Amino acid sequence: MEFVVISLLNGITYGLLLFMLSSGLTLIFSMMGILNFAHASFYMLGAYFAYQISAWLGFWPGLLVAPLLVGAVGAAVERYGLRRAHRFGHVAELLFTFGLAFLVEEVVHLVWGTSSVDYKIPAELDGTLFTLFSTDFPIYKGFMMLISVGMLVALYALLTRTRIGLIIQAALTKPDMVEALGHNVPRIFMLVFGGGTALAGLAGVIGGNAFITEPGMAAAVGSIVFVVVVVGGLGSLGGAFVASLLIGCIQTFSIGLTISVTDVFALIGVTLPAGSQVARLTITQLAPVLPYILMVAILIFRPRGLMGARES
Amino acid sequence: MFRRGRLLLWGACLALAVALPLVFKSGFMLSLLCQIGIMVVFALSYNMLLGQTGLLSFGHAVYFGIGAFISMHTLNMIGKDGGPLVVALLPLVGGLAGLLAGVVLGWVTTKKAGTTFAMISLGIGELVAACALMFPGLFGGEGGISGNRVVGTGSLLGFTWGPQVEMYGLIVAWAFVATVAMFALTQTPLGRMANAVRDNPERAEFVGYDTQRVRYLMLILSGLFAGVAGGLTALNYEIVTAETLNAHTSGVVLLMTFVGGIGFFYGPIIGAILVTVMQIVIGGMTQAWLLYFGLFFLFMVLMAPGGIASVIAMQRNLWQAGLFRRMVPHYLAVALPILVLLAGLVGLIEMTYALLAGEGVGAGDTATKVMGMQLQLASMEPWAIALAITVAGVALTRWIGGRTRAAWNETLATLHGDRT
Amino acid sequence: MTAPAIRLSGLRKNFGASEIIRGVDLDIRRGERHAIIGPNGAGKSTLFHLISARLPVSAGVIELKGENVIGLKPFEINRKGLSRSFQITNIFHNLSVFENLRCAVLWSLGYRYSFWHRLAGLTDARLRADAVMEDIGLAKRRDTPAGILSYAEQRALEIGITIASGADVILLDEPTAGMSRSETDDAVALIRRVTEGKTLVMVEHDMGVVFGLADRISVLVYGQIIATDAPAAIRCNAAVQEAYLGTGSHLGHQP
Repeated sequence: MEFVVISLLNGITYGLLLFMLSSGLTLIFSMMGILNFAHASFYMLGAYFAYQISAWLGFWPGLLVAPLLVGAVGAAVERYGLRRAHRFGHVAELLFTFGLAFLVEEVVHLVWGTSSVDYKIPAELDGTLFTLFSTDFPIYKGFMMLISVGMLVALYALLTRTRIGLIIQAALTKPDMVEALGHNVPRIFMLVFGGGTALAGLAGVIGGNAFITEPGMAAAVGSIVFVVVVVGGLGSLGGAFVASLLIGCIQTFSIGLTISVTDVFALIGVTLPAGSQVARLTITQLAPVLPYILMVAILIFRPRGLMGARES
Repeated sequence: MFRRGRLLLWGACLALAVALPLVFKSGFMLSLLCQIGIMVVFALSYNMLLGQTGLLSFGHAVYFGIGAFISMHTLNMIGKDGGPLVVALLPLVGGLAGLLAGVVLGWVTTKKAGTTFAMISLGIGELVAACALMFPGLFGGEGGISGNRVVGTGSLLGFTWGPQVEMYGLIVAWAFVATVAMFALTQTPLGRMANAVRDNPERAEFVGYDTQRVRYLMLILSGLFAGVAGGLTALNYEIVTAETLNAHTSGVVLLMTFVGGIGFFYGPIIGAILVTVMQIVIGGMTQAWLLYFGLFFLFMVLMAPGGIASVIAMQRNLWQAGLFRRMVPHYLAVALPILVLLAGLVGLIEMTYALLAGEGVGAGDTATKVMGMQLQLASMEPWAIALAITVAGVALTRWIGGRTRAAWNETLATLHGDRT
Repeated sequence: MTAPAIRLSGLRKNFGASEIIRGVDLDIRRGERHAIIGPNGAGKSTLFHLISARLPVSAGVIELKGENVIGLKPFEINRKGLSRSFQITNIFHNLSVFENLRCAVLWSLGYRYSFWHRLAGLTDARLRADAVMEDIGLAKRRDTPAGILSYAEQRALEIGITIASGADVILLDEPTAGMSRSETDDAVALIRRVTEGKTLVMVEHDMGVVFGLADRISVLVYGQIIATDAPAAIRCNAAVQEAYLGTGSHLGHQP
């Protein structure tokens, strides 16, 4: 029971963080038809910017400034890079963001070195929020949830209450309309791209110190975010939300489970031959591949994703 | 297909590949040539997807890596029972492994095309890479698995594959066979329909073709050739690590194929040669090599999305129309400011590296060696100079580049005008 | 008597709440040239998309030469001998004219997914593609990439790709749309020539083309067929007159 509740809380925290990334990715994809391969790189930039700013000014200014900086970088990338690549078609766009991800990692290597940096949780958020059964739930996890939910509410309000939000929403459900809007709205594209990357930056600010801030973090998170988007259904915000929480929970639950594959099959009455390498693996060991297995299963049984409306 | 000119070209390429080690005798050059041979096959197999079928894969290393691992296991299994002939045929085992991997994994990935395919290929790549670390028995964990390509006694026509130069011969032979086979494939009904599916999948369906089946078959065949390259790499290095099938390797093959040019059969060959040479030569000179390469790649995406092959093809068109000479002075004129710009930029990057990542970090007023010069990185002076050179380079390039562009557009207009 | 080339019974298609095709029953006889006319938005292109399986039907049955083809994929229907063109030019832009046509004949000649035949050695495919190229008047543009042909040439290529496989049921969606008078005349002659002995169904706005080519005409208005008859009878049909008068008549226009 204790394990379930704690894992669920951890899973939701992680899932909400994933949603900050996948929502931006989904918005950008739906509006502009661009799969931003470098999305997780902006997450990484958010973490590093926050680390640098908190070293100079403290955590709180970093929380505010780092996402804005990342958003500005994102907007500049859209304005001076993507818009040009767009003329050569989708493959060029995708390759551009791929090259960008490559470049960002190298710049991070250059500026902050190849090992992890000491981006710490601020003292005032360090500690125990409450104790459940015998496990402490840290304040910072609660803070992450607060920020994520706050962002979620803000995003919802933006999408449903403002003019730009309504245009973006219309674009989500009616892709034809985006084409009708076409090139007349480059500023909206820039805003959406900047906004989406700022969201990723924010996720980096609060995720970088909860996990680890290192040059490999973009690649590690990036592929998971892609899995989230495929599982949820390309272009569906609701799907991205459900898939984020689902994968967040799968990750945290599986890390805590020490039973082996043999035990799992025993539960459903199947006895595996002893001795094979697969049978001896524990669920914890399987944790890194579970999201990908889920993705493959979704592709086979429900190719448009959990909530995807259209086949692509 | 085998017109005389083309036969001559193929023959010349083969003769050149065979003759190269006679000129470049050093061990360094020989291992570079071996690496190029392997990468040519790998990049060509990648272009069967990207250039010919329009499938952008982020997980092609999976087939390369599986081919390498299976070849290595086979090599170790045959051990003393084998001989040079068996070893020479090992890349075929790698190819079959790659083909089988394509049959299994491709069934999932090729259900979709376009962006979705790109994402799924990435996910499958990550899945296989994670699995590789999960089964150390099969993939050797962090250390990888190693073997010895000299097995049994005796030789095949005098070859034991022990010396590197004999290995190079084997690589050339396989690379040539694979290249001819891949070229021949572009001249078959399947190869042509792959182009059709790339151009317009809907129309392909309405002339009777199942586009999913075309993609699937192309992926399987591409897996075959990637596996051959993997088998060669296992034999060449006598060690295979999980690195061979991870995202980094997938990224490298994508980069080299694109830089070379995906629209031409020979594009990936140029890319494989260029990138491998740059990797080893520039990579040996500076730590910042990957940064330069990233910048170069973005430059190509934005300025020459057809890759080097398309640039060459354009110049050839100009040459044939007798317009090339008109452009030469403009090329020379624009080369100068670009060199200035590059010098400034490289200076800035190298100094930053020396300051932040190099050994002289925090060295205060001690001089740090950058590009052969003793520089006081703590003072403003070298930075100001490098920045000034860069700014001057940008300004000059914009100014002269504008004229070059105008001349280029004019020449192009003449070229097309002549045509119609 | 043999089954009709195409038989539609109770065919319906809705997009969400709006019903575009509202119960169409129609027999296309073998070997006839059949035109479908109607005001804009009547659902003519949608009807084509349903028959060629580009869109799934909501209800009803489509029979191709007596065989129910509901649920088949576009390529499966094509293999059964139905070929179509598109209103918006739909060709292989980066391939040459010749390659476009050769791609269109490969399946019907049985080469399927072969990677063991050399294209250059496939004499039958080459001859067929060359013959079609001659037919559509693009022989002099043989090696030109399709993407840089003129509009009228692309439309001709579109028809060429459609007929190249030798399908015996041909659907042409506005083959002369956007053409000048003389180009239209050429196109009509071309269509007449290449569909000789085949079943032709076409959607067309140009009444000159329709009345010049068609053996029978069906009039589609708001997703329903209000009349199917010979051209002369259609011209005098009261219901058709009424439907057209409301949208600006083209019917008085003589070919």
